[in-house]
Amino acid sequence: MNRRIALLALLAAVAPFAAPSRAADEALPPAEKILDRYIEVTGGKAVYDKRKSEISSGHIEFAAGGITGSIVRYAAEPDKYYSAMDIQGLGKVEMGVADGIAWEKSALLGARIKDGEERAQAMREARMNSSYHWRELYTKAETAGVETVDGQECYKVVMTPAAGKPETLYFEKKSGLLRKTSLIAASQMGDVPAELIAAEYKDFGGMLAPSKIIQKAAGQEFTITIDSVKANEPIPADRFALPPEIQALVKK
Amino acid sequence: MIALGACSLCAYGQLTAAQRQLNIDSFEKVWITIRDKHWEKNPGGLDWHAVHEEFRPKIEQAQTMEQARAVLREMLGRLHETHFAIFPGGGVYDAVQEGVQGPGSTGIDLRILDGEAVVTSVDPGSPAELAGVQRGWAIREVNGMPLGDAIRQLSSDPSIPEITLTRAILARLSGPAGGKIRIGFAAAGDVPTTLQLALAEPRGIPAGFGNLPPQPVWIETKKLDRTGYIRFNMFLDVVRVMNSFAKMIADCQKCDGLILDLRGNPGGIGAMAMGMAGYLVRKPGLRLGTMYTREASLNFIINPRTPGFSGPVAVLLDAESASTSEILAGGLKDLGRARIFGTRSAAAALPSVIERLPNGDGFQYAVANYISEGGKPLEGAGVQPDIEVKLSRHALLSGHDTVLDAALQWIKSETAASHAAQ
Repeated sequence: MNRRIALLALLAAVAPFAAPSRAADEALPPAEKILDRYIEVTGGKAVYDKRKSEISSGHIEFAAGGITGSIVRYAAEPDKYYSAMDIQGLGKVEMGVADGIAWEKSALLGARIKDGEERAQAMREARMNSSYHWRELYTKAETAGVETVDGQECYKVVMTPAAGKPETLYFEKKSGLLRKTSLIAASQMGDVPAELIAAEYKDFGGMLAPSKIIQKAAGQEFTITIDSVKANEPIPADRFALPPEIQALVKK
Repeated sequence: MIALGACSLCAYGQLTAAQRQLNIDSFEKVWITIRDKHWEKNPGGLDWHAVHEEFRPKIEQAQTMEQARAVLREMLGRLHETHFAIFPGGGVYDAVQEGVQGPGSTGIDLRILDGEAVVTSVDPGSPAELAGVQRGWAIREVNGMPLGDAIRQLSSDPSIPEITLTRAILARLSGPAGGKIRIGFAAAGDVPTTLQLALAEPRGIPAGFGNLPPQPVWIETKKLDRTGYIRFNMFLDVVRVMNSFAKMIADCQKCDGLILDLRGNPGGIGAMAMGMAGYLVRKPGLRLGTMYTREASLNFIINPRTPGFSGPVAVLLDAESASTSEILAGGLKDLGRARIFGTRSAAAALPSVIERLPNGDGFQYAVANYISEGGKPLEGAGVQPDIEVKLSRHALLSGHDTVLDAALQWIKSETAASHAAQ
């Protein structure tokens, strides 16, 4: 699953989001089965095995605030990652992971190296094919019940990472697709309850992936639309290199 | 944000059934907005549903606009929080809501000093500068209309803070670009001077952000002897303003001090305060303050940036310094990193919005609380200067900015003390 957590430093009020819950009165499949099924329905093991790198691009919109921007993301085995969001009026916000260093840089806030839970979360998101390699990233996965998300019954799976707070994933019973993720996003400004809703899926060269993600955090709602996902395309050699400002921080 | 409504109602007299319904719709909008967007689940510690039950019959019974506004104000008053307000549509209060009447400007900035509108700055190259307008001139009338009555009326209304009063008067000096405006001044020696000034595009480069219409943003950096000086009119146009700020800091590595002039700066993007503070703070992990929403506490963390500036920092404030200006100034003060000169800031440091209600009135509400690092809220309290210095017409007429002068003097004394210590 491609999860985008793009918390900008202008977060404001949060509207609470409460999904109805009902007691599990049926035998629940083990979490491993649900997670493996997700791999099957989104392309299958063979497709994931072949996928060594990825370039995705799209746009982001904060409709209530009238803010738009573009996103581009590069990822490569095992856990190299670079993304750039260019937000109208804010400029570019760049993030990356390379050689165990998770970083962020912008004209707005400067350059910094992430640590603690924020780093751990960034490292998980940087893992190429993270949904396929979940066993490396989480110490525990448990099916916690059934809930309805946008009218669809979903299995609720709680994933406990090696570092950080548990994340709850909701997989549609019928299709096996991931519909919603609820988590506490660790950010520099603090822990923020966030939800990512995979509103639409699209076939990107043989892999089904979320093409429209609605991210709700701190009272603001962003829509990320992925327009293009290219697998195994050449990536510039220096794409994942640490920017000079980050190198300077590493040397300190 | 102002959501333009579609209703104009008579200010006095009995309301029609349609007008009463618009007032009821407005009541519901106000109540629902606070229910959903206030940072506390129980706004103001109240049973908000019980508040609805209490006030709904009252708005239904309101026979005049004044009665309807009184109901809404009484309901908002139960919160005991500032920046929840109802502004009547129409008359002098229109300027209160709308700010500037048009994009054209004479280039004059003013403040109300001792009950008079006084020119405090003149934009370079502006129609006012070309016409010879000087700082310290009093503005007595605009297009034949005396300002004294408007100033007295707005000054006597306790719901109108100074920042709003100043903007309402400044709005009288604006209009569509390309137009003209006749201003009656009292120049030096109180010599009456009437000038017809053109209205030009305001100083700055338009910069938008989301739904906020493009605002002209300018930034001024210079050295005053061995002291760096930075002033900009809004926290917008991130890339240009932040790059200019960074360049000033880089150019000022050997400066004796730095003056950050936030007078008249109404705020903008809150995160820019964090970014600017990063050039002034060396120790990681510090913060300017914390914003509290219903679901999260968001820390305004400072990332030290290089090159930074380690010398004395003076921040200049006045009653027009609001929002992000207060966050930056208040946080730097609480961290002991800056000395504040001038007068108390606007005390408007919450992210608040103004929307138009169905009945045409304005509704202002805050969406989060903000506590500065020192533990005190800025909203309602503002940033108190360490050294209170007021502008005076007399000083302006003789070419002195008393606030700036005080800051420069302090930096000089800090430098002398530092040299003596070495």
